[in-house]
Amino acid sequence: MRFKYSLEIITVIAIGVFCAVFIYTSSSLPGAGFSGTDTTGSELVANLSGQPVEHFKPLIPQWQPPGAEIESSLFALQAAIGGILVGGVLGYWLGQKKKT
Amino acid sequence: MHIMEGFLPWQWCLLWWILALPCLMLGISRLKKLLAADREALPLLGVTGGFIFILSSLKLPSVTGSSSHPTGTGLSAISFGPWITAVVCAIVLLFQSLFLAHGGLSTLGANIVSMGIVGPLAGYAVYRLLRDTPVNIYITVFLVTALADLFTYITTSVQLALAYPAETGGFVSSFILFLGILPLRRFPLQLLKELSLHWCLNISSPRYPDTVEHFL
Repeated sequence: MRFKYSLEIITVIAIGVFCAVFIYTSSSLPGAGFSGTDTTGSELVANLSGQPVEHFKPLIPQWQPPGAEIESSLFALQAAIGGILVGGVLGYWLGQKKKT
Repeated sequence: MHIMEGFLPWQWCLLWWILALPCLMLGISRLKKLLAADREALPLLGVTGGFIFILSSLKLPSVTGSSSHPTGTGLSAISFGPWITAVVCAIVLLFQSLFLAHGGLSTLGANIVSMGIVGPLAGYAVYRLLRDTPVNIYITVFLVTALADLFTYITTSVQLALAYPAETGGFVSSFILFLGILPLRRFPLQLLKELSLHWCLNISSPRYPDTVEHFL
């Protein structure tokens, strides 16, 4: 028999685990910047090639977000596009199910 | 993980583009055939694409003081196979390289090969292998999504190690270094992410059987 609130409980546990990881890491590694794998990988490439990261110039000119805030909002926009697609279609399916 | 613009020599960029393009063309051809045969597949395609959009924008903290995001390609691979997934991934990667400066146009071929082709191929192979066995569907979905992510990271490590072999130890040494910073330290967290996200999806199936059964 499936427990009635299993989805809600697993969601809360998942959120709790990520919060705990964040709090634990922040306290045990002061100054942890939580940089992404892109940044870490690029730094290792620079180390292996013996050139500073700044020496790597784009082969094809590339637009850069003017600031961290803009970059964050563009990431949020990406998530929003995904959310609209997923939510829209799930809503459409549920609507169809109710009709029948 | 994306290889950033300018971080691959042009010869490697060209090679990965040459490998990616036929797969993309095959994916577009399969997509056209699929939609011609069944227009009802379009909403599901939107969901799997949206899922990749959401997951690849979620940067979650890891215990190493860094952050990473899952790729979300496993579900698309299960639903549509690896070639159509390559097309969906190419759209997401193009968006990220144009508007977020994550990845780049010259390295797009390499990123498509890792995230859009090798990862989904690995996931799909696991799915085909376990589909008709008594293995629980939750475990199958979990393995597919986790391995699709892992193989994406391994491929990126190979791509970077080939372009930047270490002075001592060459490719192998460099590969181990990239493997250390990319997949290995993140794998436990990656497993947890996939587990939680896909359990959420799977467990909702009794409530919305008509929608969630598409994923299974």
